[in-house]
Amino acid sequence: MPARLSVPQAMGMAALCLALLCLASLLLGAGDIGILPSLQALLGSSDDDARFIVFELRWVRTELAVLVGVALGAAGVLLQAVTRNPLAEPGLLGVSAGASFAVVLAINLGASAASLHLGVAMLGALVGCVLVLLVTRMRGVGDDPVRLVLAGAAFSGMLGALSSLLLLWDQRTADEMRFWVIGALAGRPLDTLEWSLPGLIGGLSMALLVVRPLAALALGERVASGLGHHPQLTRLGTLLAVAILVGTATAAAGPIAFIGLIVPYIARRLVGSDIRRTLGLSMLLGPSVLLLADVISRLLVRPYELPVGVVAAFVGAPILIAVVRQHRLPTL
Amino acid sequence: MNRTAPHPLLAPSGHHLLRLGRYSLLLHRRSMAIALILGLLLIAVATAILAAGDDTLTPWKALQAALGQGDALQVFLIQELRLPRLIAGLLSGAALGAAGCLLQTLARNRLATPGVIGIDNGATAFAVASIVAVPTSLAPSALALSGAATAAVLTFALAAGGGARGYRFIVVGIAIGALFGALTNLMLARSDMDAANAAYPWTVGSLNARPADSVLLLGIGLAAGLPLAKLLANALSLMRFSDSVAIGLGVRLQRMRLLTLALCVWLTALAVAVVGPVGLIALAAPEMARHLCNRHGVPVFNAALSGALMMILADWLGRTLLAPIEIPVGIITSVVGGPYLLWILLRQAPRSST
Repeated sequence: MPARLSVPQAMGMAALCLALLCLASLLLGAGDIGILPSLQALLGSSDDDARFIVFELRWVRTELAVLVGVALGAAGVLLQAVTRNPLAEPGLLGVSAGASFAVVLAINLGASAASLHLGVAMLGALVGCVLVLLVTRMRGVGDDPVRLVLAGAAFSGMLGALSSLLLLWDQRTADEMRFWVIGALAGRPLDTLEWSLPGLIGGLSMALLVVRPLAALALGERVASGLGHHPQLTRLGTLLAVAILVGTATAAAGPIAFIGLIVPYIARRLVGSDIRRTLGLSMLLGPSVLLLADVISRLLVRPYELPVGVVAAFVGAPILIAVVRQHRLPTL
Repeated sequence: MNRTAPHPLLAPSGHHLLRLGRYSLLLHRRSMAIALILGLLLIAVATAILAAGDDTLTPWKALQAALGQGDALQVFLIQELRLPRLIAGLLSGAALGAAGCLLQTLARNRLATPGVIGIDNGATAFAVASIVAVPTSLAPSALALSGAATAAVLTFALAAGGGARGYRFIVVGIAIGALFGALTNLMLARSDMDAANAAYPWTVGSLNARPADSVLLLGIGLAAGLPLAKLLANALSLMRFSDSVAIGLGVRLQRMRLLTLALCVWLTALAVAVVGPVGLIALAAPEMARHLCNRHGVPVFNAALSGALMMILADWLGRTLLAPIEIPVGIITSVVGGPYLLWILLRQAPRSST
């Protein structure tokens, strides 16, 4: 697919979008504070209620959305590149389900420390990633994008059922997890940000390490070897990065599907399919998409709120259909 | 040779030929034997499940109590508590098994079951809507029917071009299922706690205290749908071949497809209105029937029997495994069904995708 925009142009547009959406996320909400009071509070008025809502609630929530969005967008691009499959997405392939099942299991066994969730979620995501890798290495299944998705759906369905089973067992966990299991940005503990930031940074630096080998791998295994890269090592490194990113995002906000599908899809449309071009862009697009979904989720059913995963599914499912309907699936 | 009487038609080996005037029916002997065995097994298991429980009766006593004889307490226990649940399980299992068999044949793909392509979720979303979102006098069954039809039509329309087979169709179905799943979550999120709790069994699939009128509707629907499926079986078994072969053998393909899909939606929706989205049954029951019959036909009736058997066994398992906590039957089937689906998927010979 030929590039339609230069990378700086696309990045500039995405950054502008992100800034606008951050502002919208601070100004709009389900609470009974209007846009104008929120704006005044942001500019330094002294209304305590408004200041509290804008700075304590919405600010944290916006930061969290940016963090999770960056992680999911980058993870989506990496996973699509390593499986060479435009349908690969952490949520659809069962990586998020692995992470969330691990967290539910840990809480059920009595763990409660937030940092422990993070490690456990990463471990679960890693197991999911390894399973994906094993399936893609199988002859006949790996080269068929659509079957991989079906396998992922089966895997996620099973883990989802196991999670519900565990929740059924323990009512206390169930109440705590009811919204987290669907994926939600609201009402997360304040220290969520602190402990997930290192995960994000670690995952992203890992991703930067594998970008060049991955781009070479897109030309074929032999070309990559000829250029001095190690294909197996590259795959492993990529999966590790995906596991860290998805684990962090899932521990912070629950399993949010479809973001990792929407973002690379848009990024490819804008700048073409080379991962060196899409990765940076998707780190800006990821938080934009997630923030948009989050703002919609606050406004759609006022005065209630919707888990953001629900909104993401409404946007993502049509895109999934669009990708499948494309006459020939683009191979990455 | 002048023969006045027509030459008697000979049945192919392994079949029985029933004739009644102009009409004739070919019956596969092995399938009939299997149906008989499955039926007997079903009766035995059902009786055992009726008798077992916190208050265990002898099977004979249980049967008597089901007919209204014996100790008043036992009669109440059996007739009011255990029997309705058993019947709901039997009927919904049978409907799901038959529907799965039909859709697998239609899509020429063993993985295409109503649950996988989103029909279950469509029916669930609309059934939940009848409780939480729209205050309506419409029965959940009617709404489930429209939801299932919507999902099926959407999936088929959006997958058009790739034909009703292949994996593209299935992924479109997964996306439609995700959409309706999100719709269900949306309605549950904005409803109050009581309504959400009332709708909960539908979202996981449970046989606990299901409304009697939905069960009755399912019974009627099944009584109408199964014979129709049996009548279609002949054309259905021809549809397993390629389009051109089927047309050449005299199948009106478009009409048959539409009819099969409608029947499948009908059975699925009525079953989902009772138990909610229960996976696995529609996937595994036809498979089991096909294995048992050892024949490459379309064993709708045997699939229904196996489905009923699986459903009541899964429900029994859910009640006893962690007693006194009850595991909804949908969770049992998902936990068992996931690995089974993966196994089928990974062992199947590679095919082209689009």
